[in-house]
Amino acid sequence: MSTVIATTAAISALAAAGALPVLATVGLRWVSVTLAPLAGALAAALAATASLTFGGPLMSWFVALTALGAATVFGLWVVRPDLGPRHAFPGRAAGALHRVAGIVGFLMVIGACAWSLRGLRSPTVGFDARALWVMRPGWFLQSHPQLLIDLKARNLVLTQTAYPPLVSASVAVAWKITGIHSARLGVTTVAVLNACALATAALALVECGREMAGRLRRSWVPMAAGIISAVLVIVVAAGVTEPFLTNGYADPLWSLAAVGAVAFGLQLGDGPSARAAAVVLILVAGTTKDEGFVTAVALVVLVAARSIGWDGLRGQRKRWAAPVTVGVAELAVLLWWPTMMRVIGARGASSTFTIRTDLARRTTATVHGMSPYLHILVLALPLAVVGGLILTGVRRRSGIGNDLWAWAALVVGMGAVGAVLVASKSQIGPWILSTVHRITEFPILEAWWIVAVWAVVGAAGFVGPIEEAAAWPTAADFDSPEATAAPVADPVAVSA
Amino acid sequence: MLVTVVSALVATIALAALVGQAVRGSRTVDAQLVTRSVHDATVDNAFYDCIDVQARSLVGPSQTVTLGGNNLADVISMIKGFGAWATVADPPSRADVVLTLHVGVAAPETCLGTRVVGTYRGPDGRTTVRLGTGAQVAGQGPPPAPPL
Repeated sequence: MSTVIATTAAISALAAAGALPVLATVGLRWVSVTLAPLAGALAAALAATASLTFGGPLMSWFVALTALGAATVFGLWVVRPDLGPRHAFPGRAAGALHRVAGIVGFLMVIGACAWSLRGLRSPTVGFDARALWVMRPGWFLQSHPQLLIDLKARNLVLTQTAYPPLVSASVAVAWKITGIHSARLGVTTVAVLNACALATAALALVECGREMAGRLRRSWVPMAAGIISAVLVIVVAAGVTEPFLTNGYADPLWSLAAVGAVAFGLQLGDGPSARAAAVVLILVAGTTKDEGFVTAVALVVLVAARSIGWDGLRGQRKRWAAPVTVGVAELAVLLWWPTMMRVIGARGASSTFTIRTDLARRTTATVHGMSPYLHILVLALPLAVVGGLILTGVRRRSGIGNDLWAWAALVVGMGAVGAVLVASKSQIGPWILSTVHRITEFPILEAWWIVAVWAVVGAAGFVGPIEEAAAWPTAADFDSPEATAAPVADPVAVSA
Repeated sequence: MLVTVVSALVATIALAALVGQAVRGSRTVDAQLVTRSVHDATVDNAFYDCIDVQARSLVGPSQTVTLGGNNLADVISMIKGFGAWATVADPPSRADVVLTLHVGVAAPETCLGTRVVGTYRGPDGRTTVRLGTGAQVAGQGPPPAPPL
């Protein structure tokens, strides 16, 4: 079996595992196509954690979790047919141009992602990939007692084996399904998952343009801007993350998933469909790597805060229930693996932190180490200030979230990773030198995503609004039962 | 009017910056495909495939192993080469085979001058040393270091 066929089989298996839960929560949308393999990878991560916790083979847990998810979804659709996969599909009542933009945007995003994976023509397996990410899958396929030895034995020296399981668990599923236990298959599987996360974040830009278009005179302008920005962001992101995008490292996956989580959880219309996509992406980021974990925890808090909003803070207690419940469930999933690492006494599980070391020197080293990679902020910040001062009305009319949410996520995510560097007992110099270009991927990519959103907002502001009453609904409108019951007039006809 | 002008300005600057960075990003990806990078990756793969094959020639299906030697780099090389399938013994003293790397060997049948060596302790306490076989990569020295 060739690597291409084996990778296709592995990603298809992951997508099959994630498809129904994604359809049930996100709905029948283009983004569900790229989210399904990521949800399947998440199922693999949960299967690995369950296997470690309770014993039993990883594949048995993977199949059991997939079956449980599918049964739950079918049960839900039988009991509540109104919650079927089309319930959150915003395009069905919109115009033909809106639908065409969705198709074109999806195809161009997929094409750009495929082109960005051309680095796979080089057979590179990264250092950490070979030592950890595509080595550990073999451990997940060994017996439970042996897995415990592998994770605990001190003479195996590598402390990074306590890192979260998603990448290695996904590769373990790929190996088991295809029967090919090679580092190369691991690298290609991880690369396609990276592309799925990248495509998901980019499709949020296409959605952004489509959401804005419904309220404008020349609606094709922001839709075109959304598609162009999405394609450009993909090429930019591939440059930022190479060579790690295609050599088996875990950093691009958590960084891109976190960018997607910010897009769906904090920037697009605040509806159940976008929130469900954000949940999948947050969990993918948090179960991929330690840096992704701290960023994901911060994103859980921010997304819950946005959902609660000012109304919740002013005393509307009913606005607290759903966000807090979802947030607590997310934290429980995120904490499961690190808790198990401490329970079994795994190598590297007990990271050592202190505030007694030379904090000033470590802070300076961290800032100086990170800053050469963050020059995009010199562009993104003034652009956001000008846009925030003058184009806030355009942004608000189109239903896109406040830019400050994205900046909050960027700052909190970067701050959390920086705080770990500063407070750790490990030698700061070598650590910074060997990792800073990878752990800054999230703030860099997030800043470029912010710039891309302003490109779409600028395009929307340039063409100007139409009457509110004739506008297309946003995704949030379609998440309410009243909106789905009464489709609005075709805005193309209105504008003509 | 102000909104229209600023909108055009913001959109133009943002798109221009994205295009510029996309050109740079595309070049970064293309740099992975230059002959030197592909050659280094191929040598790296051949080295680890080689020590994998040699280790398999030394370890039976049900045998446990421990990774011996005092050199951290050698232990990491062994983990990279065959850590995925080796059944590690705990405690290490109970291992059926102690695997080590002999580096800088000039003889043939080595992986860039490195050879996997298995040490077995019999029931009578006598030790037997066997050399890994089945694969070789001509040349000397460690494989080119991939980016960290």
